[in-house]
Amino acid sequence: MKNRRKAALVLLCAAALTITGCSGSSDSGTSLAQKEEAGKSAGSEAASEVTIGFTSEGDSFDPCTGFGYTGSPLYSNLVKVNGENQLENDLAVSYTVSEDGLVWTFKIRDDVKFTNGEPLKASDVAFTFHTTKEKATYMDLTMLESCTAVDDTTVEFKLSKPCVTFIYTIAQLGIVPESVYSDQFGLEADQVVGSGPYKLVQWDKGQQFILEANEEYYGEQPQIERAIVLIQEEEDVRLVAAQAGEVDIALTSATLAATEIEGMHVEEAESVDNRGITLPTVPDTGKVTEDGYKIGNNITCDVNVRKALSYGIDREKIITEALNGYAAPAYSECDGMPWWNEACVIETDIDYAVALLEESGWIDTDGDGIREKNGEELAFHLMYFAGDSMRQAVAMSVANQAKENMGFAITVEGVSADDTVKRMFSEPMIMGWGSDSPMTSYMLYHSSNAGKTDFYNPEFYTSEKTDAYLDAAMNSISIEDSYEWWQKAQWDGETGTSMKGEAPWAFYVNMTHLYFVKDGLDIGKQRIHAHGQAWPLIANLAEWTWEA
Amino acid sequence: MNLNRRTKMIVFVGVIFAVLAAVYLAGLFISDDFIAADFSQKGLKPSWEHPFGTDMLGRDMLARTMKGLSVSIIVGTVASTVSAVIALIVGVAAASGVSWLDHFVNWMIDLVMGIPHTVLLILISFACGKGLKGVLIGVAITHWTGLARIIRSEVLQIRSQQYIEVSRKLGHSSRWITVHHILPHMVPQFLIGLILMFPHAIMHESSLTFLGFGLPPEQPAIGIILSESMQYLSAGMWWLAFFPGLMLVIIVLLFDRLGENLKKIMDPYSAHE
Repeated sequence: MKNRRKAALVLLCAAALTITGCSGSSDSGTSLAQKEEAGKSAGSEAASEVTIGFTSEGDSFDPCTGFGYTGSPLYSNLVKVNGENQLENDLAVSYTVSEDGLVWTFKIRDDVKFTNGEPLKASDVAFTFHTTKEKATYMDLTMLESCTAVDDTTVEFKLSKPCVTFIYTIAQLGIVPESVYSDQFGLEADQVVGSGPYKLVQWDKGQQFILEANEEYYGEQPQIERAIVLIQEEEDVRLVAAQAGEVDIALTSATLAATEIEGMHVEEAESVDNRGITLPTVPDTGKVTEDGYKIGNNITCDVNVRKALSYGIDREKIITEALNGYAAPAYSECDGMPWWNEACVIETDIDYAVALLEESGWIDTDGDGIREKNGEELAFHLMYFAGDSMRQAVAMSVANQAKENMGFAITVEGVSADDTVKRMFSEPMIMGWGSDSPMTSYMLYHSSNAGKTDFYNPEFYTSEKTDAYLDAAMNSISIEDSYEWWQKAQWDGETGTSMKGEAPWAFYVNMTHLYFVKDGLDIGKQRIHAHGQAWPLIANLAEWTWEA
Repeated sequence: MNLNRRTKMIVFVGVIFAVLAAVYLAGLFISDDFIAADFSQKGLKPSWEHPFGTDMLGRDMLARTMKGLSVSIIVGTVASTVSAVIALIVGVAAASGVSWLDHFVNWMIDLVMGIPHTVLLILISFACGKGLKGVLIGVAITHWTGLARIIRSEVLQIRSQQYIEVSRKLGHSSRWITVHHILPHMVPQFLIGLILMFPHAIMHESSLTFLGFGLPPEQPAIGIILSESMQYLSAGMWWLAFFPGLMLVIIVLLFDRLGENLKKIMDPYSAHE
């Protein structure tokens, strides 16, 4: 009896316990950091130091297995994306692409040293790409045939087929030194050797890591000399740390960002981390995928229905009611990127949406508020990944609006990732894509990728016209030349992948990434973030400054 | 005086039973419209209109809690009934006098009790496909051990009574004896064990769901409500966890009282206290 009572109380108090439990662990984390600080010379300039409330640091700092693909302050890449979302040279001095788009030749700087003192040569670049291709973990380098160092400052890539987005692949890969690289690389602080503006001086796994400015860095010396990055996986812990003044900047979320903290403000970073609905574009004819999953949906295969869902939903309303105002309307998978077509932007137009539905024969005949056709109701289940409360909120808001505005009955359903894969080829789902490479557009819409279990194109969208544009884009010689083709694939005046055209996706919002930032700390110009909130933030750590 | 107290007890049991039945029916008859998202009402503190407040999707927490408790009571009923039946069968079988069966049953009980309960629950519920089905199976087939032990020893005790021996000498078969002499004796043990298993089953359903191995997120279940509320606690929304948690504790305690009181009425050893 007593035990049972106790058990009951335990569940009730679980909440309270977790909070105290977590702040306890954060204490141990920060006290370590504080000891660290105290150990440093007492009069050290606070203005050159920053403490960051971060999420998990990951298992490895090895770029060859995917570390830092959104940019990191530890490694330098041949080229990088700057705060204006444009590519600029980093290690590269210049590069040329052959007429057929197959041979890329890079000239690199000759004054770059790794943090272990050794010079960075073209052979290190070649080694990095070879190793990454071999490991085949995160980077897709299947199109890379070979990579050779012609001399110390020239490196040549040979591709098996033209791939204009290869430049973005290059921008994602940090260069590692061939001489010290081993299987242990990136797993301990002394096994992290890069050439970026910062070096890793200490790493207490799961607790913190410390970055210090790299004096040998070939670029401008950063103003922030030292960054203490505290691992605080729970957002409550980061909130408490921010409230206690233990951190200068902390990751937060739309749920907690409304909390007022004295001396801090909330900064939003734009992202292409979008949330929208995939709408199966083919009818259900009883076909199944190789794995036996049902294909097609008889309601969403009608382009009018898909467009109605795009036009008939007020994006601003989703943002205010479901996301506390912390998001931006989304109109494509690449809003704001150089290859984005501004014609993708649509205005909410409920009358138009209703007209589209009526044109397709969806009329509310029995007066129950839901449209029907041939006795079938205009209704479907909308899946989201169970446990993701933001996606749930977006889905609920869409469902409410669809019913109110258009007589469209959407049932929101949380589904585990495994079950999602079984159902996504025949049912709509809330999805998110965010990438800073146009390769995503290719994967999302090229017919060669339709209906794979990789989540890119579960709606089975195929279009010869789109394929032609995407192929033309991929075959371009320079990335600038390709922009036009990417844009045409989205909307060429008649059709396209955007919501004006075939609308295989109804895009609704781009999540903004939110941070509590201490007043006076300038976090530079953040490029449009891809997926993930943590590493993209400190990719430009070298540009951060404290106001005097 | 004795009778008086007994009557009081029966009334008390009746009241508890009525309360539980009312909670169950209330949850059953609350329309789904009450727990539909309404963003104009999101994140409201408890008020007269929404006594338990609303969550971040604007759903009324009182309605959600009642529906959740209703689900809990169903899970509790089904799981503990199945468990108690298993316990009865196993307990009687073990005490039937076949020695290898007795050994086997004891070994099974030790095995099930030896594995940490929550871990076993998670494993079974996961293997049975999660969701309501997984939780039901998981809870049902892990709770019978304690009661099975009690029933086994009880049966053994009865079997050694003289009248059983007499009955046997009179030529009644073992089956006849089991049905006519032993099973009737088991009724109080069975019923009380069943009801006292209830709180266990409900708590375990909630904790499984809380940990994410139980019911799906749309199902209004207390475990879901509690785990959802965790992310809003530091935003100051205490009512999301407090009221549903409190209600769960109250329901669990009510079942417990019900069982204890029934025991006093029915159990021959304590009925005359």
